[in-house]
Amino acid sequence: MIDIKDLCKDFGEVRVLKNINETIEKGEKVVIIGPSGSGKSTFLRCLNRMETPTSGDIIFDGQNIAKASEKELNKVRQRMGMVFQHFNLFPNLTIKKNITLAPVKLGLMTKEQADERAEELLKIVGLPDKEDEYPARLSGGQKQRIAIARALAMNPEVMLFDEPTSALDPEMVGEVLELMKKLADDGMTMVVVTHEMGFAKEVASRVLFMADGAILEQNEPREFFENPQNQRLKDFLSKVL
Amino acid sequence: MVNKEGAFLDSLIESFKQNFIEHDRWKYLTNGLITTLEITLFAVLIGFVLGFLVAIIRSTHDKTGRLKIANIICKIYLTVIRGTPMVVQLLITYFVIFGSVNIDKILVAIMAFGINSGAYVAEIFRSGIMSVDNGQFEAGRSLGLSYRQTMLSVILPQAFKTVLPALANECIVLLKETSVAGYIAIADLTKGGDTIRSQTYSAFMPLIAVALIYLVMVMILSNLVGRLERRLAKNDRH
Repeated sequence: MIDIKDLCKDFGEVRVLKNINETIEKGEKVVIIGPSGSGKSTFLRCLNRMETPTSGDIIFDGQNIAKASEKELNKVRQRMGMVFQHFNLFPNLTIKKNITLAPVKLGLMTKEQADERAEELLKIVGLPDKEDEYPARLSGGQKQRIAIARALAMNPEVMLFDEPTSALDPEMVGEVLELMKKLADDGMTMVVVTHEMGFAKEVASRVLFMADGAILEQNEPREFFENPQNQRLKDFLSKVL
Repeated sequence: MVNKEGAFLDSLIESFKQNFIEHDRWKYLTNGLITTLEITLFAVLIGFVLGFLVAIIRSTHDKTGRLKIANIICKIYLTVIRGTPMVVQLLITYFVIFGSVNIDKILVAIMAFGINSGAYVAEIFRSGIMSVDNGQFEAGRSLGLSYRQTMLSVILPQAFKTVLPALANECIVLLKETSVAGYIAIADLTKGGDTIRSQTYSAFMPLIAVALIYLVMVMILSNLVGRLERRLAKNDRH
C-alpha cells in the first residue's frame, strides 16, 4: 500500500532519516518505537508529506507522494488520516464542526450528511453528548478521541498516529488506546509512533525499532520483544520494559 | 458668593451661546464630525483590505517561501509608511502625487489615511496569523484542505479573534489621527473647532467641545469592540 524507497530527510546539516526502505501493506498495524530524536516522528510525517523528504520516493497507491504537486497532495491527504500528539483540534469550533469542517469544505459530503456522520463517529469514540461543546471543555483523552473522529470523518484508508498518548495524563491513556485497538480490530491500516509498549505488543502486526535515523530491527511483536537481536534495541528495551 | 457663582454661570452660558448658537456655529462641529467620520470609516476600510492583503502575502512567504517579489514590495511599503510621519504623507499625497490634478480633498485624505493605516493593520494581522499554533495549520492540511482553505477556515478566524483588540486600537488611533486633515484645508472636526475659536476669540468652549466629541466617539467604539470580543470569547470558557 505504501512503498518507501531510499527515504532521506535533512534538517539543515543534520541527516535525520538515512536511506529508509520499507513497505506497509494494507491492513497492517505498524508500530514504530525508538528513543527520542531517532527520527520516528519525522518518518511518519514524511508519509503524508507534513515533512518534505530531501530525497527518495514514497509510493502510495501508485502515486509518488514525495514528488506530488500541492493539488495531488491534497487529494492524497484526504485518504490518510493523521492524529497528532497535541490533538490540534480547532479551538474556535464546536466538536461537531471540528469533525464536519473538512468533508464539507472539500465537497465530499453535504452539511446534513456530515452532521449525521459526525454523530455516528461520536458514538463510536464514546462521546455522543459532546457535539455542541468546544474543545476547551474536554479532557485530554476526550480531545484525542475527537481528533481521531475528525480524521475518521474523511473515511481514510490509512491512519497515522504521531505519539497520540504522549501528551496525556496517565489515567487518560487507556481510553485512547482502547479506541485505537477498536480501529485496528475493524481492519484499519495503521502506522503508530508511540512509547506504549503494551499497545505495541497487543495490537501491532509488526514493530519497527528506529534509532539514529534508520530502522535497526523489525519483527512481529512476540519475537521482537522476547528475542531482540540488535544491541541498541536490547539496551532500549531494558530501559523501557 | 451667590452673586459670584451666578455671574460665572452667566458668563458660561453667554460663552456657550456665542460659540455654538450664534450664526449657527455648532454646524462647524457637526459638519466637521461628519467629515471626520467619513474619512475615518473609508480609511479604515482601505486599511483593512490593504493590510489584510499585505499580511497574507507576508505570512504566506514566511510559511512557504513563495511570493518572494510581492513580499519585497510589501516590505518596502511597510518601511516607507511606518518610517515617515502621517502629516508628511498627507501633504505629499495632496501636493505632490495629486498636485496637478483637481481632485476632492476628502478623497485624497481617505487614500492617504487608508494607505497609512494599511501598514499598521498589516503587521497586526500578520502577528495574529503567526500567533496561531502551527499544529492548527498541520491539522487542516492533514485533512486534505489546501493552503488557502486552511488559511480561510482554520487560521484566519482564530487570528482575527487574537488581533481584535489591536485592530480596535488602530481604529481609535486613526480616528484621532485624522485631526491633521486640516493641513490640507479639510474642515474636519478639529478644524471646525479651531474655526469657531478664530471667529469668537474664545478657545475654551470650542476646543473642549472638540475634545469631548472625540472622547465620546472613542468610548462608543471601545464599547462596541468589547461586546464583539465577549461574543467571540464564548468558546474559550472552561
